Amino acid sequence: MRDTVMEDEVEFEEGEEPSFSDPEDFEDDISDQELLEDVLRERPQEADGIDSVIVVDNVPQVGPERLEKLKNVIHKIFSKFGKITNEFYPEADGKTKGYIFLEYTSPGQAAEAVKNADGYKLDKQHTFRVNIFTDFDKYMNISDEWETPEKQPFRDFGNLRHWLEDPDCRDQYSVIFESGERTGIFSNDVKEPILVEERPRWTETYVRWSPKGTYLATFHQRGIALWGGEKFKQIQRFSHQGVQLIDFSPCERYVVTFSPLMDTKEDPQAIIIWDILTGQKKRGFHCESSTHWPIFKWSHDGKFFARMTQDTLSIYETPSMGLLDKKSLKISGIKDFSWSPGDNIIAFWVPEDKDIPARVTLMQMPSRQEIRVRNLFNVVDCKLHWQKNGDYLCVKVDRTPKGTQGVVTNFEIFRMREKQVPVDVVEMKESIIAFAWEPNGSKFAVLHGESPRINVSFYHVKNNGKIELIKMFDKQQANSIFWSPQGQFLVLAGLRSMNGALAFVDTSDCTIMNIAEHYMASDVEWDPTGRYVVTSVSWWSHKVDNAFWVWTFQGRLLQKNIKDRFCQLLWRPRPPTLLSQEQIKTIKKDLKKYSKIFEQKDRLSQSKASKELVDKRRTMQEDYRKYREDALKMYQEQRPLRLQLRGGVDTDDLDSNVDDWEEETIEFFINEEIIPIGDLA
Amino acid sequence: NGHTGAVWCVDVDWDTKHVLTGSADNTCRLWDCQTGRQLALLKTSSAVRTCGFDFSGNIIMFSTDKQMGYQCYLNYFDLRDPQQIEENQPYVSVPCSESKITSAVWGPLGEFVIAGHENGEINQFSAKSGEVLRKVKEHTKQINDIQTSVDLTMVITASKDNTAKLFDSTSLEHIKTFKTERPVNSAAISPIMDHVRCTVAVGGGVNIVFAVFFHAAYEEEFGRVKGHFGPINCVAFHPDGKSYSSGGEDGYVRIHYFDPHYFEFEFEG
Repeated sequence: MRDTVMEDEVEFEEGEEPSFSDPEDFEDDISDQELLEDVLRERPQEADGIDSVIVVDNVPQVGPERLEKLKNVIHKIFSKFGKITNEFYPEADGKTKGYIFLEYTSPGQAAEAVKNADGYKLDKQHTFRVNIFTDFDKYMNISDEWETPEKQPFRDFGNLRHWLEDPDCRDQYSVIFESGERTGIFSNDVKEPILVEERPRWTETYVRWSPKGTYLATFHQRGIALWGGEKFKQIQRFSHQGVQLIDFSPCERYVVTFSPLMDTKEDPQAIIIWDILTGQKKRGFHCESSTHWPIFKWSHDGKFFARMTQDTLSIYETPSMGLLDKKSLKISGIKDFSWSPGDNIIAFWVPEDKDIPARVTLMQMPSRQEIRVRNLFNVVDCKLHWQKNGDYLCVKVDRTPKGTQGVVTNFEIFRMREKQVPVDVVEMKESIIAFAWEPNGSKFAVLHGESPRINVSFYHVKNNGKIELIKMFDKQQANSIFWSPQGQFLVLAGLRSMNGALAFVDTSDCTIMNIAEHYMASDVEWDPTGRYVVTSVSWWSHKVDNAFWVWTFQGRLLQKNIKDRFCQLLWRPRPPTLLSQEQIKTIKKDLKKYSKIFEQKDRLSQSKASKELVDKRRTMQEDYRKYREDALKMYQEQRPLRLQLRGGVDTDDLDSNVDDWEEETIEFFINEEIIPIGDLA
Repeated sequence: NGHTGAVWCVDVDWDTKHVLTGSADNTCRLWDCQTGRQLALLKTSSAVRTCGFDFSGNIIMFSTDKQMGYQCYLNYFDLRDPQQIEENQPYVSVPCSESKITSAVWGPLGEFVIAGHENGEINQFSAKSGEVLRKVKEHTKQINDIQTSVDLTMVITASKDNTAKLFDSTSLEHIKTFKTERPVNSAAISPIMDHVRCTVAVGGGVNIVFAVFFHAAYEEEFGRVKGHFGPINCVAFHPDGKSYSSGGEDGYVRIHYFDPHYFEFEFEG
């Protein structure tokens, strides 16, 4: 083109305006694409817009007076996935039809909406079904030929149970230290903790393990994250602004999060239940207060979860997240409830009402059949304590007997495995400080009395209908009972104000194996196998001496681990054993054979450890010796300088200047006594 | 009698002719050891925190606190020059603007002073010019005490960061670290210093306090001694290495003699 212009200029004659037109046979060799690329990019496509439209079915049909409110709710829910540019609420006969169209700015946002909102339960009668508008077309036009769907890329997190394959059966635990700045996962070895993973600011407050140990949950301003597998990769994220508390279902299928920030009347968001594997939000709930967390209590198999509100017990079932039988139970005055850890049975109690006595009820789920009702008189308060397998329920009843002023405590023991659930009563003479069932067993321990006269009693619930007091120890410095998760052994601890007094007890013959102390201990944690106990001083309760100590179950101190501003240690739980009862029996029979092998292995590793330690010491020794040798050499070389500084006096050896020593004999006056000799004659 | 305020430091020269004291009454005083007569009085603008005679006994140093607008200074006086004493004019005065000196000892040949600072730094100040010859920052918090080995080749520093560290006096090379779970107020090196036996004693703590003993080469703790009712402020070994003494906030000075086992026992190694 340039040449052409030049040509024109050359031909220009004064007075005449030059022609700037292209010559007649000029062919434009620049495409629109090159010239106007950016403009063309935004040319509206024919299919545009439709891909970003979603259809929502099962929307409530409302009249014009409630339309505004409905639109607000819809908008609130669906604007989470992107910017809504268009909405259409078709109507018929004065009400909305029950399905709506929403348009986003991009197909990606529409896809997000389908992924997350499909199946969202707005309320009892309305569960949204969300689809991409173009899908309707797609489904209408399904070809008769089958095309294999494309494979989704597999997100491999590795073996989520990897830690169980440790050849030395070491359990893991999480440690939060540096006042929360660092979180570490360690493997528990007898000699010293082995670091598995440590990250700064992994969590913003604290951590929780899932009930079978598969996931580690960390807390953040925006929600929680779940980590797992050998490398602790992030498996799932749940967005819940300002989350404070969480709870897992026992089967690890669901996690419940609570945040005080997110609640509104139209869209309950204080408590959210999530599906862990898919990351989907299953249902949101209101929450008045979080004082008794977890608000929702799960049945042991994860099939049901329930919560108590004023005069009401609401039981929901999974996976639908709907109320069982579509209605809550009206239980006037209900004070507390809990699930049996072994069966789908709920225990609850109601206080006295006019002339109806207080009572404890056991109810089977889902049938709602009342298995057992127990009337109680003059009740002040009740607490429910289930034994770990659901074999027994202990109801601690505080009563004020008629005609007296004081409060006495009874333990009502329900024998769940016997026909018609008989109840036996144990009367306690003193006030109760702590109560705990033996896991996997039929004993329980009670701390009673008043400081400084605190006693511990051990009871055995026998098969013959009797509950026997096996042993009592008095003058205990304890305010908490910690049973081994396998039963038989326990630790009595005087935490916090009792300065960390510890007693290790074997309840098979009720002997105290060891008495020790971890000054200012704030927590005691058994490992899941019952082999080790960790006592710790948390920075959250005491600002100095922050450390965790590892003991054997017999009370022998193995390690003292000082960690700067140590806050919390949590053992990683183990999933239930995969072995059948038969297999366990066989292994127990052959225990002697196995213990020989283990002992040999232990001895080898010990001597290896000692060897390592010995080698390390030898190296340190040698380095130090070499350093001292060099230092002494220099010292010798500097001798003339030293002599000079001290005027020739040799002070290198302590006793070097014996000649300088002077001996002085000093006489001093002690006493004068005048003894008259008298007349000699 | 003599000072009119708390005495923060005291030192005696190598043949016990003179005694040097520093006090919160803003003076550093020189005394005749035998008679107790005050020989010199050096006025300062703030409390004298550390003081000491060099190896020859001819040069004295003392440091003053950062107080009431006055900086921390490290001052050197040559006792052979009476004019310096009369006119209260140190021949070298080093200001420490960043972090005040909390503890100081002389180097092995009187060439420099090794000073520990509030921020955990250790500096070697030349006794000739006052310039910093070497510096290290191994501690993360205040240095509470520095003591030398009996042959002056090593120094041990006690710090608020819960550790005591061993350094070479001349090179300031960091040789060993001894860890405890509480701030360390004082540390000392046993005079019986063969390569096997060197033990280090540290004292410190807030509630229950111990004097803790470490094997110098292995950096491992092998013993603790209870007894004081309050924090231990200083520890020192007897020159024959057979006993040690500790002074505490509770107002007691305790002297402990080591039992034969201490001298005999060996770590596996």
